[in-house]
Amino acid sequence: MPDMQEGTGIPDAVDLQILQALQDDIPLTARPFATLAARLGIAEPLLLTRLTRLHESGIIRGISPIIEARPLGLCAATLVALPAPPPRIHEIAALVSSFPEVSHNFRRDHPYSLWFTLAARNEAELDRILSRILETTGFCRDEILDLRTTRKIKIHVRFPLAGSRRRS
Amino acid sequence: MDPRDLELLAELEDGLPFVSEPFSVIGDRIGMSEREVMGRLIRLCDEGIIRRFRARINQRQLGIVANALVAWKCREDLRDEAGARLASCPGVTHCYERTPVPGRWEYTLYSVHHGYSREEVSGEVMKIAQETGLSEFCIMFSTEEYKRVPNVRMKPVGGGA
Repeated sequence: MPDMQEGTGIPDAVDLQILQALQDDIPLTARPFATLAARLGIAEPLLLTRLTRLHESGIIRGISPIIEARPLGLCAATLVALPAPPPRIHEIAALVSSFPEVSHNFRRDHPYSLWFTLAARNEAELDRILSRILETTGFCRDEILDLRTTRKIKIHVRFPLAGSRRRS
Repeated sequence: MDPRDLELLAELEDGLPFVSEPFSVIGDRIGMSEREVMGRLIRLCDEGIIRRFRARINQRQLGIVANALVAWKCREDLRDEAGARLASCPGVTHCYERTPVPGRWEYTLYSVHHGYSREEVSGEVMKIAQETGLSEFCIMFSTEEYKRVPNVRMKPVGGGA
């Protein structure tokens, strides 16, 4: 039986096939994992065991619906960049992350070192939240970048995992 | 959407249980029959409220450790074509148009690229630059990830790591 390499948490070929398949929408049937297992040519109990382990090891964050922003009233979004000085970046990053309206917050190798995304019901609410973040972190508007989203061209998070790609 | 839809979506936010009949288990937790759970989910998909229903994967643990945000300067009249080209790239997970900051930051097109190495991602970006003629761009690789949760959350930190 092929298995995740003992103790290393490194996924094997079966795991990668499972991960690849799980990046498509799961079947909305009473027994979705049975359907998936059949597609993959493995038994359902094996699939469930692998899923549990991939989840425990943190590779699968979860299988859940991705919800569209607009129907839930989130109609405004922006990407903000702060020129956080390296000695303060962790402190500033933690303050930014503590705002529930922030979904992504990364450090990047650029003088604008901290980049985060923010969503709100409308542009005015976005302004208010951003003002609070800037107050908390000690930046003023003319030293940051506030890059409002005007068009979403693509959102499709999918990684080619099984076989098709060089892995090093 | 009604309050029961919201309750169901909130319950699903942390993910399906890995059991044979996961929708039945979810339904039990909120006093909803499996049949009703399925019916509501199918409707929410049809209405476009649920955009996808799939696994969220921590790609870093699979060796996909390079993440670049690329900001592109793009002439207004080339924007649609360049946007379409960027979107067609399998390594691009996100592509947006954004307002510039006049005089300080004139970039208007943004793409997020993932790959196994910086070299791989840089190569892809250079190739796109050549093909589209977008010669002014700025590649910014991520060096630390402080927060990453779905854009739309039913609970404040729903779906968080």
